[in-house]
Amino acid sequence: MTVLSLRLSRKELDRIKEIATKENKKKGEAARSLLYYGWFFFNLKRYKEGRISLESLAKELDLSVSETIDLLVEYGVPSPISYDDYLEGLETLRQLP
Amino acid sequence: MIVFDSSALILLAKVEHLIRVVEDTEVTITDIVEKECTRKQELVDAKLIKKLIEEGKVKVEHYHAGKEGKKIEKGFNMGTGEVSSLLLARKKGWIFATDDKQTLKACKVLRVPFLTAIHFLLRLYEKGIISHELVLAKVKTLEKVGRYNPDIIRSVLKKIMERGS
Repeated sequence: MTVLSLRLSRKELDRIKEIATKENKKKGEAARSLLYYGWFFFNLKRYKEGRISLESLAKELDLSVSETIDLLVEYGVPSPISYDDYLEGLETLRQLP
Repeated sequence: MIVFDSSALILLAKVEHLIRVVEDTEVTITDIVEKECTRKQELVDAKLIKKLIEEGKVKVEHYHAGKEGKKIEKGFNMGTGEVSSLLLARKKGWIFATDDKQTLKACKVLRVPFLTAIHFLLRLYEKGIISHELVLAKVKTLEKVGRYNPDIIRSVLKKIMERGS
């Protein structure tokens, strides 16, 4: 592991201490778990907003596409596919023999 | 022939209707999508997809997306599996099946006709392959795993009810 020095506000430091106490972890471990959750929700949000694809999300979270779908269900993240997209798909469906 | 990316293929496997889809339509995936869908063999959907590939019901084609692929991947924040499938569909002039928004955006730009997993349920019902009761149950399951927009689900249910039991 590498070492990074960064400035934190009092509130941010208090949060790390709070998590460390609640989870019975060292402050470093608590900070790392916060980073993990931050990364996780940052990518979930980008997917929800239609900014990254499902496969890209899976890659960022180190999961398979199937596991990522299960995770999206668990967190109640709706599919960004719109009603318009569905209607366009219906037109394609009518072209099938 | 329809080219699938991992999202639509896995969703149909999760609602246990992939077998019916491959019996009704010729399905092709790229080797990258195959790898993505089957890499965790402990998953039920991975097992099913692997079996369908081994039985020759899902065909696998190698497709190297090249420089254009890299450009699309970067421009639309897509994965290599999604890009390779999309470009294979365009090259062959086939329909593309995906449940990914970014990939749909790229389909529109590249003018590749597309379907999502829920369209296949409608097709199976309209062709009389699955019953009224079964399609209703499967739409409910797909609503959950596909996390579709409520307007889409309402429209699908309306179409099913109009057609009657």
